[in-house]
Formats: sequence, C-alpha cells, structure tokens
Amino acid sequence: MADQKDSKPLMTGYMMSTQLMEVDGCNRCQECMKWCPTFAVRQDRPGITPMYKNARWRELMAKSHSLRAKIFGAKPLSDDEMKVFTEDTYSCTTCGVCGTVCEAGIKTVELWEAMRPNLVKRGDGPVGKQPFFPKLIKGDRNPYMAKQEERLCWVPKDAKVQESGELVYFAGCTAAYRQQALGVATVRILNNLNVDFAMLGKDEWCCASALIRTGQREVMAEHAVHNIDALKDAGAKNVLFACAGCLRNAAIDWPMWYEGYIPYETMPLSVFLRDKIRKGEVEYKIPLNYRFTYHDPCHNGRHLMHLKGKDWAFEAPRECVQSIPGVKFQEMVRNRALQRCCGAGGGVKAGIPDLAMDCAKARVQDATDIQAEVVASTCPFCRLNLIDGRNAAKSPIKMVDIVEMMAASMGLDTTIPENPYTKFQSQDVLVCTPTECKLDTVERKEPGKDLVGEAH
Amino acid sequence: MAFYTLGLTFNLVILLTVIVLAVWIYGIYFNFKKWGLGSTGYHDQLRNSFWLFLATWIHEAFKDGIWVFLRTVVLDVLLLRRTLARSPVRWAMHMSMFYGFLMLAALSGLGLMIDIVEHFNLLGLEEQAAMAKDLLSLPFDIFGYLLLFGATIAISRRILLKFVRDNTSAYDAFLIGAVFLITVTGFYAEWMRGNSFLLGNAFSYPIYAPHFALIHTVLALGLFAFILPWSKYIHVIATPMTLLANRGGE
Repeated sequence: MADQKDSKPLMTGYMMSTQLMEVDGCNRCQECMKWCPTFAVRQDRPGITPMYKNARWRELMAKSHSLRAKIFGAKPLSDDEMKVFTEDTYSCTTCGVCGTVCEAGIKTVELWEAMRPNLVKRGDGPVGKQPFFPKLIKGDRNPYMAKQEERLCWVPKDAKVQESGELVYFAGCTAAYRQQALGVATVRILNNLNVDFAMLGKDEWCCASALIRTGQREVMAEHAVHNIDALKDAGAKNVLFACAGCLRNAAIDWPMWYEGYIPYETMPLSVFLRDKIRKGEVEYKIPLNYRFTYHDPCHNGRHLMHLKGKDWAFEAPRECVQSIPGVKFQEMVRNRALQRCCGAGGGVKAGIPDLAMDCAKARVQDATDIQAEVVASTCPFCRLNLIDGRNAAKSPIKMVDIVEMMAASMGLDTTIPENPYTKFQSQDVLVCTPTECKLDTVERKEPGKDLVGEAH
Repeated sequence: MAFYTLGLTFNLVILLTVIVLAVWIYGIYFNFKKWGLGSTGYHDQLRNSFWLFLATWIHEAFKDGIWVFLRTVVLDVLLLRRTLARSPVRWAMHMSMFYGFLMLAALSGLGLMIDIVEHFNLLGLEEQAAMAKDLLSLPFDIFGYLLLFGATIAISRRILLKFVRDNTSAYDAFLIGAVFLITVTGFYAEWMRGNSFLLGNAFSYPIYAPHFALIHTVLALGLFAFILPWSKYIHVIATPMTLLANRGGE
C-alpha cells in the first residue's frame, strides 16, 4: 500500500520547461558513459550515468504525466525506486564532461542541478552529510564552523590589504580557514607586484556553492545578495578568485539570484597573474625543478569556458605554470575540456565520500601514468580531494596550487602567522631556501572538527 | 497498376492520412504541454502551459540573436557538428538516417500531393502529375539506400561493439529494428513493382506489390504517429529543439 509520500508525484518545478525537453532530447548515443568519471570507478552502476538518469527521470515522470496516466490515472512512485534514483542523481560530481561531449547539446550541469532541488523538495535528497550544509552555512556563514571575524586571521601583519578598492581578492572559506598557504601566497604576490587590492574580511560570506550543487537552495539567495552587495560597497570593479568553486558561483550562480546591476568583472587569479607575467612584471628567483602536470578544475574550466572563453579557462593557468623556471611540464591524457574530475564536486565528497575517493585515485593514476611528480591546480577543493586520493593510493605525487608555486619561485615569504586555524592546515607545500624549493607535506595537527568537507 | 488494395480507396487513404497527421500533431502538443510543466526561467514560478513552453523555447533559442540561431541550425542541426566531433562513424550513420528519413518523408508528402492532383485532375494536370510521379522513383531509391546504409551501421554497431551492445535497451533495439524493417519493406515493395533503380525488374511481382507497399506504409505511419510522439523516440523532435534552445550547447 502506498503511503502518503508514495502518492507525491515527481516534482518538476525547479526545472525549466526547456530542461524537461532536454531530458527527452537524449538520443542514447552512450558518449557520456565513456567519459563519466564516477561511472569509470563504478562500472557496475550504469544508473549513475547521464543517459540512464535521463531515461529514469522520463519513466518516473511518465507515471504521472504520460498519456496512459491521463487515461488510467497516475501510478504512485515507490520509496525504493525514488531511493535508487536519488542515489544515482547525487552520485554525480556535476563536472559537466557529459555536457561537453553530449551530441544533443544538453546542458547537463544545469540539468542535474535542477533535478536535485526537486528531489529535496519531495523529501528524497540530499544524501550523506549534505543536509548539514544549510544549517552550517546559515549559522556561521562558512561550512567550517569558524568565526567570521577571523576570516583574515592568516594575513601577515606586514601585508598591505585595503578595506575597499577597485580590485578585490575574494579568498573563499577554504583558503581562509583550511588552506591558508594559498591565501598568504596570493597576498604576498599581489603586494610584490605593487597591486592595490582589498578584501572583504568578515563581510565575505561563503559562496554557497555547496547549497546550489546539492539542490538546497533556500539559503543561497542570502549569500549571493550579501556577497554582491558587499563587493559593490567595497567599490569593486574587478574581483579575483584563487578558488575555482567560488569563481564559478560568483560568475554563474550569484547573478541569477540578484536583481540589480553588477558593476564588477569576475576573474580567475591565473588570468590576472598571466597578464603580469606577459608584461614582465613577475620576477622569478628560484627554479622549481620538478615534473609538473596541471589538473583543470571543472569549475574553473568546463563550467567557465562558455562564459569566459577557453583561453581564460584552460590556457592562462598553464601559462602561469610554464612561466616558472625549472618546471618540466607535461599534460595528462585527459586535459582541458575533457579532463577527468577529481571527484569532490557536486557535494559528492560530503555525500558519498568513498566515491569521491575512488575518483581522486583515478585522477592520481592519470598523473602517475605520465610520471608527474607534482599536480598543479587552481582549486583548493580539488587539491584536498586529490591529496586524500594520493594518500589512499600511497602515491608520492604532490598537489600544489599554482599561486603557491609562483610565490615560492618568486622567493616570497609565505609563512602563515600563528592563528586559531593553524592546527587545521594540512596540505603539500613548497619549502624554499634562497636557492632551491623542496616539496613537503604539512600534516594536520588536530584531527576532527570538520563536520563536513566543503562542497564545490 | 493498382496502387490501392484490400478495399482501400483513394478517399479512404486521404482520410487515414488526415487521421495519422492529427494523431501526430496531438502527440507533439501533448509533449509540449508536458514540457510546459517546468518553469520559464531559473527559479521562476511554475507556469504549466503549452504556450509558455513555446515562449520559453523561443526565448532560449534566440537569446544570442538570429545569427547564432541560424548558425546552430546549419552547423548543429543540419550538419551534426557535435556528433562529428566525437565519432565520424556515428556521424555518417546519423547523417544517413537523418537525411534518408527526412527526404523520404518529404518525398512521400510530395507524392501524396501529386496523387491528389492526378486523382482530381486539378488544373488539368493529370498527365503531368503521372509523369512527375515517375520522376520521383529515382530520388526515392537514392534516399532509401541512404537510410538503409545508416540503419545498417546502427545495427552493426549494436551487434559488433561490446560496450554499445551491453548498453542497448529494448527501446534502442526496437527503434533501430523498426527503422530497418520499414526501410527494407519499402525497398521490397519497390522491387516487386519492378521499377527499382539498381535492380530493374529482378524481383518484379506486380500482383502483390500493392499489398507489400501497404504493409510498408502501415509500419511507417504507425511508427511516425502512434509510437514516435508517445515514447522516448520523441528525441527525433526534442534533440534538434534542444540544440537550438542551447545554441548548439556551446
């Protein structure tokens, strides 16, 4: 006997009518299955692939909206089938490679992100630890249960950071509380280049990517509106991001929640730095004698390429890496628009951590296959997951951010001042003497504390 | 030679054609209405309307201007650029099936028009209509072979490639099988009439040619009107519309 929840039809309200059409537009060519990073590590579950998710959505919707349902009445949805469909829908990192290769031109990231709130509203999603996101983010304005007034606690005393200005650096929660080396390196480079810039401090709220990715949209509006208003109040004309997840949200998601005029441009830090490199303003002092490869973060690459172009998305970070003396650079087989996702995005790291781990191991293997010693990237969250994957795979490969690479090679002091979050720092770092830089790993001093990993 | 058999008359065929078209149009309306269950924009309220689906689609398709729309029509809908980028074999298959199917459908429509002109001797063009009908047999053959070529690749892929075969559902098998069957019956009907482009009268059997042609017609119209709009095969309509709405997905 169907209970009350069974009688609820599939919700469609968060999907645009053209997205409902897109579901029917899938011609089952199977191309997405060849590229899907989660299916690559879960071959026994074709249901997680776009082709099967579309087919399943069609079937579930047909129970209430087919010609048969109109004539004979709607069929109830069972808990079991909704549970399977929900797990399949959330076993997706929203990396978007399926959309890149889709013959029908389906905008898959937007499609999955529109399916999820319907599942949330019906009471089927989200999964794992994802339900904590709204409460954490609304309560603390960041997912790490950290204090907003300590957002800039990592900024060195001698660093020059303004409270307002035309150029603003939006650090993001992970750089502020968990990968402060990235924040320090960014500030040091900008200071070294004599660039005047501002930071929002406690007025910088979480970009709320985790909420959008997991279909929990209720707190999103507050964060989008607040951050845009804060940037406008600071007088921003150009906003720099060293976090791919924050960048995607600021460039693509926030504007959809904001009704007013947005007077600033959003820009990856790599593009800004490349411009400085091309002008000859960046002076390197120490070579980085390692074999590097570059992992394209989905949010900074495939998601951004339609908005900002492939040059910004793929070429700028590569130029930054290759500009550093001593770097031996080689591409992984899957790169740029067809890269393999690290596995952390779409809420998967918090929702289905073993899946995120297996994807990360697969990406680490990609780097191992080309004998890379270091994987460079521009996403703190990719880096975090790849480090976890590397540790699980017992691989010697290190993961660093290109901003930290540049700061190290420029001979800048990237020491993080002691602060309440020092004990949570855990990452690969470059430790430099005046003549050479060596790779090292900083282990976390205090376990636990994070209830959930942030999701991008 | 008799074109109509088993008690079918010209008027009855016209009536059946109208019914089939009406069912097909209603099927398309039904799908548009179903798609109208979505919203008209990101986080917009629900509208639940056939007309607002159309309005949303037009808004999305023309968002970047008429030139982007036209470019998408040519490069993505007519030349299947995205398919070519991924697999030249699949592109050849899709192009053959797409143009074979489209042109045969167009030629069938044209043939029906000419039939009407001939039957009612409209404008006194009965003789010319009969001659024009004869001229259609060559393009019918050419596009028929094109469709057969595409359908053969499709079936071969599903049989020979393990990954493709493993992920082939009953839906896929039915659609490809049906297209293949319809194409083959169409050819056989032509061969029985004895006026095949390549085979001449090698299979000529005029007495039963109308019967076989009827089987072919029933299968083709059945797939067109009674299955296509009511099943996942609506992708034949939805895929080009998706490409246009998403400006080629680029």
